[in-house]
Amino acid sequence: MRTESARRRAQALVCLLPGLALMALVVGSLAEEGLIEGLRALTTVTPDNAASLVRHYSWWPRLAMALMAGGGLALAGVLMQQVLRNPLAAPTTLGVASGANLALMAATLLAPGLLLAGREWVALAGGAGAMALVFALTWHRGLSPAVVVLAGLVVNLYAGALGMVLLLFHQETLKGLLIWGAGSLAQNGWHDAAFLAPRLLLGGLAAWLLLRPLVVLELDDASARSLGVSLKHLRLAGLGLAVFLTACVVSVVGVVGFIGLAAPNIVRLAGVRRLGPRLVWSTLLGALLLATTDLLLQHLSGTLPTLIPTGAATAALGAPLLLWLIPRLRLETGRPPGGATALAPRHPAPGRLAAGLALGLTATVLLALLVGQAAGGWFMTLDEAVLAWRWPRLLAAAGSGVMLAIAGTLIQRVTANPMASPEVLGISGGSAIALIATIFLLPAPGNLTLVVAGTLGALGSLAVLVLLNLRSGFVPERLLLSGVAITALFDAVRAIVLAGGDPRGQQVIAWLSGSTYYVDPVSAAVVAGLAVTLALAASPFARWLDILPLGAATAAALGVRVERARLGLLLLVALLTACATLVVGPLSFVGLLAPHMARLAGFSRARVHLLGAALIGALLMVLADWLGRQLLFPAEIPAGLVASLLGGAYFMWGLRRR
Amino acid sequence: MIFSPPCPAVAAAASPSWWHRRVLLALLLALALVPAPRALAQPAIATLDWTLAETLVALGVTPVGVAQIDAYHAWVGAPRLPETTVDLGLRSQPNLELLASLAPDRLLISPMFANLAPRLSRIAPVANLPLYSPGRETWRQLHELTREVGRLAEREADAERLVIETEAWLAALRQRLPPRVPPLLVVQFMDERHVRVFGEGGLYQAVMARLGLENAWHGETNAWGFSLVGLEQLVGLEAQLVVVEPYPVGVEAALAGSGLWQRQPSVRQDALITLPPVWSFGALPSARRFADHLVTALEEASHED
Repeated sequence: MRTESARRRAQALVCLLPGLALMALVVGSLAEEGLIEGLRALTTVTPDNAASLVRHYSWWPRLAMALMAGGGLALAGVLMQQVLRNPLAAPTTLGVASGANLALMAATLLAPGLLLAGREWVALAGGAGAMALVFALTWHRGLSPAVVVLAGLVVNLYAGALGMVLLLFHQETLKGLLIWGAGSLAQNGWHDAAFLAPRLLLGGLAAWLLLRPLVVLELDDASARSLGVSLKHLRLAGLGLAVFLTACVVSVVGVVGFIGLAAPNIVRLAGVRRLGPRLVWSTLLGALLLATTDLLLQHLSGTLPTLIPTGAATAALGAPLLLWLIPRLRLETGRPPGGATALAPRHPAPGRLAAGLALGLTATVLLALLVGQAAGGWFMTLDEAVLAWRWPRLLAAAGSGVMLAIAGTLIQRVTANPMASPEVLGISGGSAIALIATIFLLPAPGNLTLVVAGTLGALGSLAVLVLLNLRSGFVPERLLLSGVAITALFDAVRAIVLAGGDPRGQQVIAWLSGSTYYVDPVSAAVVAGLAVTLALAASPFARWLDILPLGAATAAALGVRVERARLGLLLLVALLTACATLVVGPLSFVGLLAPHMARLAGFSRARVHLLGAALIGALLMVLADWLGRQLLFPAEIPAGLVASLLGGAYFMWGLRRR
Repeated sequence: MIFSPPCPAVAAAASPSWWHRRVLLALLLALALVPAPRALAQPAIATLDWTLAETLVALGVTPVGVAQIDAYHAWVGAPRLPETTVDLGLRSQPNLELLASLAPDRLLISPMFANLAPRLSRIAPVANLPLYSPGRETWRQLHELTREVGRLAEREADAERLVIETEAWLAALRQRLPPRVPPLLVVQFMDERHVRVFGEGGLYQAVMARLGLENAWHGETNAWGFSLVGLEQLVGLEAQLVVVEPYPVGVEAALAGSGLWQRQPSVRQDALITLPPVWSFGALPSARRFADHLVTALEEASHED
């Protein structure tokens, strides 16, 4: 047991260490032209002296901005984690950043006049819009934390997919926004700092006022209500404040990940329990962490041919730290499965339903195979030369749809978590990181090289997942959190690469958005064969899948060796995901969506659930692939993005309806 | 095996009516617009790369297909693509069915699209033409690229003429330059805080070297000859600032309130040079346009003094 004084020491140390590091960096940098000169540049500027100009208009505002942005994001993080009772809630997870990003992109392309009125207002409106959507989707469920997190995830992915489509078609026009998306703290005047400071002060004040009511949220819902608190309005106030803070910061400096997640968690790990001190210490730590990282990066920037934006770099450096933190977090385990598992009533004859789906799939396949467009307009054909372009793509789309759907069904049943999906596990993310590295490090890589690299990346992240979770016996929550960390790393790498403005960026975007474009007849046949084999391999696990959602204790009592079952299923999920990712990229909703759709349709026992999800997954991907090729002809929208948009819309509709 | 590689004739026969109408239309247009329709004898060429597309047009070739034509006109600008050229869709994922139906004799790509080569070669022979290779002299590569495109399009004489004319044009421009030009710092704004600054290995640098002008940026650059930097890294460089348009929306207004930018010597003395957009990864046509714009602007600046 730690003593009280040891805990105090840990708390002091947590802030003291980055504080000292920051002091050293600041003094070290100022000493370049003399400490006194450097300090004087804060207030006055010598017009013809380059060093003084840079200090006054760039270095000092940047330091102020880093401190403010870090503090603001950390404060928002504490608020979100308190309201959502989830240590992994972060300011950027609820769609605020991607909503702001989408608004900026849309304004740049459609209504540039809006940007003249002030970029930060457009970003603020976008962030607020995304959050309003999340609130609207979850309002009638009392903004219950689990549902808010789920809705936030979906809105985030949806806005992200729309943004990807715009980026794919307007890469040249939107290249400036890619820098924003990676969070650069560079400054050239005091304008932005002056914009942010009063808003953060206002936010801090509001947080102080909300402090006492928010403490109530640490109780369970019933006790909180018995104190006469309106949970719904309290949550709205808490989350609204967090979103306001996030949107203000993000609108000025761009997307800065990780700080809002890490600072509150580090403070909590150091043993600070009460909300008040947590708010203060987290804000302080967030400010110090971001400023320190930024100063370190500035030291490096002179030696590199491209800018490394601080926001993405912080996230990239932070992901390993997050992986290290996860085994040490205290998690609420043994939660009863949420309401989301109790869905539509069981269908009386699932066999007939499956036959109907198979019929629909056949019809869609025929449509996609025979109907298309050419320079002269729509046409129908049986010409072998044209079909030769189409059938490999159809086969690959269907195969990867089946694999992702089965992987999703497995992981959702094993974790009893409706949010779980193969994409969230980080296996797709790992394979995507490897693909990006290959495209950028090798001159003109061929498709085989890319496939090999992608497989190695998937295996690498699987190894990380297994190693991290071996000791805890593959507890579902930890597993998902590890996946979130790997996915965060992937996002950061992608942001850094795209911000640099390298023309190869378009290729990266195309690969990552999940297209069946690169499939040739051989790989299509391989994918389809694998899909059938792995689908057959999954069906003997049906008994485990019926039992595992009942909880570890029940499952053990029924004679299932829980750990071994979880590991086996995890390996199968990883294999399925890796194969599918190589074809359709890491960014599809299919693995998340198809199992839910199957449930809604009435497939409830594990065996028929697997079958139904597989059919729906194939149908969705084939349809998405065909639509993607026709909607903006001759340009093609990658199937993964179309599937995300179809799936996301369905998902939001489902959330609203229930 | 179900799959068989398509031959152009079969693909063209796919749906005869629209195809015939299209050919007829193209022929009519060609007759109406081009005084000497010798294009009929030349191979039909399609390309994914804008730099190759501008070279083709400069050689008098009408490409049958080019990717992202709207974006080409927005970012490369000149020379304009002929009306008959068909849009192939995204550069990174051109529409293969459409491309096959055009039945080109040859496809030109740059190494960036090398992973597409196996698929494209089912439609027509693919030529992969590098430009901006690290460690190679850009200007010489521009010549080689032009001649290679000329050879593939069976326009060797036109290619030779383009090379010689461009050289002569640049030599003439060099004569027009004012006597003392300070080192130049060529930038393009990405947003109000970041610019691409062009240096070693890029088109602008190659043109400036050809004109005998000095580049003030000696920092690291990437394979395409630019570096993404914050505005603060430009402070203290003794140089004439040259901004290549377009400014992103709202950036000019934001710069008016930027302390750092307003104190740049070129801005303070109202001596900033602004050039119309030129494709910064282009070939000889873009090089010539950049040289034109730059020398004209420098002349005007020296008259104002």
